[in-house]
Amino acid sequence: MQKFAVFTGSCQSLPVVQYLLQTNQLACVVLVDTQQNYDLMQLQHWLQQSAIETLTYKCSDDKGLIAQLDRLAVNRGLIYLFRHKIRPALIQYFSGHLVNIHPSPLPDYRGPFPLYWQLRNGENTTALTLHQVTESVDCGNIAADVEIEIHPFDTMNCVQYKVAQALPRLVEKFCQLDEKQEIKWRNQEGNGSKSAPQVEQQQLIVNWHKQTSKQVVNMARAGNVDSGCALFQFRSEAFQLLQASVVDSALTGVQAGMVIEVDRQNGLVIKTVDGALRLDIIGTQQGVFDGYRFAVLFGLEAGLSLVQKDF
Amino acid sequence: MEAHSSQSIASLQYADPQVDELLKHSIRTQLESLLKAKLTTGQRQLLLQKSFVDAMTLVLSNTQVEHLQLVYAFEAMYDQAVQSMALAQLSQEQLTRQYVSASGLIMSPHNCKHTIKDVYRIKGYARGIDLAIQSKLKHASSITILYPACGPFAPLLLPLLSYYKDSQIFTSKQINVILVDVHPGAILSLQQLVKDLQLDDFILRIEAADATEYEPAESIDLLVLEAMQHGFTKEGQLSIAKHLVQFLTLDGWMIPQNVSVRGMLVIGETEFNQQWKEVEYSHSLNTNTSAQQDRVELGEILNINKSTLLNMQELELQDGVKVIPASKIKLPTGVKDMGERILAIYAHIDTFADEGVEQYDSGVTHPRPDMTFYIDAKPRDVEHTHFVASSGDMVQFYYQLSGLPGFVPVKL
Ligand SMILES: C[S@@+](CC[C@H](N)C(=O)[O-])C[C@H]1O[C@@H](n2cnc3c(N)ncnc32)[C@H](O)[C@@H]1O
Repeated sequence: MQKFAVFTGSCQSLPVVQYLLQTNQLACVVLVDTQQNYDLMQLQHWLQQSAIETLTYKCSDDKGLIAQLDRLAVNRGLIYLFRHKIRPALIQYFSGHLVNIHPSPLPDYRGPFPLYWQLRNGENTTALTLHQVTESVDCGNIAADVEIEIHPFDTMNCVQYKVAQALPRLVEKFCQLDEKQEIKWRNQEGNGSKSAPQVEQQQLIVNWHKQTSKQVVNMARAGNVDSGCALFQFRSEAFQLLQASVVDSALTGVQAGMVIEVDRQNGLVIKTVDGALRLDIIGTQQGVFDGYRFAVLFGLEAGLSLVQKDF
Repeated sequence: MEAHSSQSIASLQYADPQVDELLKHSIRTQLESLLKAKLTTGQRQLLLQKSFVDAMTLVLSNTQVEHLQLVYAFEAMYDQAVQSMALAQLSQEQLTRQYVSASGLIMSPHNCKHTIKDVYRIKGYARGIDLAIQSKLKHASSITILYPACGPFAPLLLPLLSYYKDSQIFTSKQINVILVDVHPGAILSLQQLVKDLQLDDFILRIEAADATEYEPAESIDLLVLEAMQHGFTKEGQLSIAKHLVQFLTLDGWMIPQNVSVRGMLVIGETEFNQQWKEVEYSHSLNTNTSAQQDRVELGEILNINKSTLLNMQELELQDGVKVIPASKIKLPTGVKDMGERILAIYAHIDTFADEGVEQYDSGVTHPRPDMTFYIDAKPRDVEHTHFVASSGDMVQFYYQLSGLPGFVPVKL
């Protein structure tokens, strides 16, 4: 009989909790005792309402937690959106039955921001991957995965929603294999070619000298609307770029970062290294505008550059 | 009968323009005075014509006119001209569209409307054009003038034509003008302005066309052209001139007859700040001797006139960018503060005879600092495409025609 402890810090894992609850396999949910945030508070509230036992993960050591897990006869651990490195004692407690769900086709996109980087790199599919927890993060053997399509217009919230929808399917698949003792653990081959590190502030600023139209489009999409919002600079101020689209341009002799058109229908068009880009939606201190209105209000004209100062 | 009577009522109507919000916002005072004055169309047209004639009377006068008097006269012209623009009922799209074409920046009518206030540019051109027309009409019964990229107000010519009409110096039989602009908003505005100025007889055609491709059927006696910005950058003056000179008659003239683009190395603070601290307005007559002496002149980088245009060799680079070779210049040696100097490029325009537009007389002749050009100094950041050279180096300048025109230096 499998008894699961779910390690999480976000409501996005509710589909898993619910599934395990319904199938009578849930022992408890383990939450971190860190700073409160709205997401965590909502989760706590829901758990309380549903009378689900919650345990606290201490940042200091695992002794107390392990004792409590033992008391509840927990023999399976599932981690999702937990954002804390698991210590060896806990890994040992589960003796191979502690798994993590990571939203990427591992070994690609290991790291704390997998969905962000997949959107930013314009991937058109992702996967939810369930793998064994080992001491090196996101590297353990894989038991099951499900593929998820990414629509070209999907934002972070869109894919997060799709991921939430796919979660119970993945967990169900895993539990059934587990029950029948048919799990075939497979190695992660290699280290993957893409990673998903913390996003640095500098990486959020559009680099007109280097980025292609497509890259800027995806960067805007990945950060819409999130703390990872793409930014572009104009007159030493930063503006949020929430949506952009690739447009054709045969212009030569114009440097990337130059405004090449301001037009009510065609919008605000910027030259890029490989063509041109329309800035569709821009966030400012004064409000959110389409490119045309932004350009008119902020005095951004064709012939001005977002890169060079004009004299 | 119906049609006739409604038409005569229409011509008596007071102006009540349905103006786009953006234009309304920027010319609110002019519109308010228009509406307050409750003028009939005829009365408004008279005021407009008078403002154009008055400005030209001052400009063509050979006695000295106070700077402020000129400024007021040109502002009056602007105030009237924008009312015509308002009555032309441009849509917001026609009013504000601005873009970079294959051969340069196409400014929106909304931004172009201010050029009619550029006193000393219009003065230098109008006086030159006046002399050229007089000279041509001494030997010919009529002439054809082509004015490409004329913008929504064609300010180098329409005031002058108003003056001719008013003073009856020349008639519409003698002068045939073709106005060309690629911007649909400029065309609408021109049509209204020409109608309001009652200059239709002087205007052969108003053409909506790209001036770098336009082919007039007539041979042209005078080609009037001003499509440049400071440092001879951004707009397509050279491409337009290069294409259209071929339509000039053998003894036809381009106005400006000569544009000399020059380079200099300056201390930015001295040239652009100190020099102007104590003068009322910037003008070539108000430059400061010690600032002028502090310059290190590099000489002429490019010379544009009918004969250089006809001989220009155009090169096409790998990426399709078109350039023409300009001057080769040896960077001076022995300048002790060279590392602190910046390159500035400025144009000197000879419109006709002794008339012209000199440095600082207008935005178009204002020296333009080039912050990407470094001599004996290191660029502050490495990311950008800087030009780095040393005293004594030979530098070949090219003029780029494609996209946004401007100079490109290459170290030899
Ligand atoms: C600055 S405005 C008016 C300039 C005008 N010559 C003056 O003296 O004020 C520039 C105008 O040139 C027009 N223009 C620029 N390049 C052009 C081209 N290649 N063909 C036709 N019109 C052009 C633009 O549409 C715009 O209306």
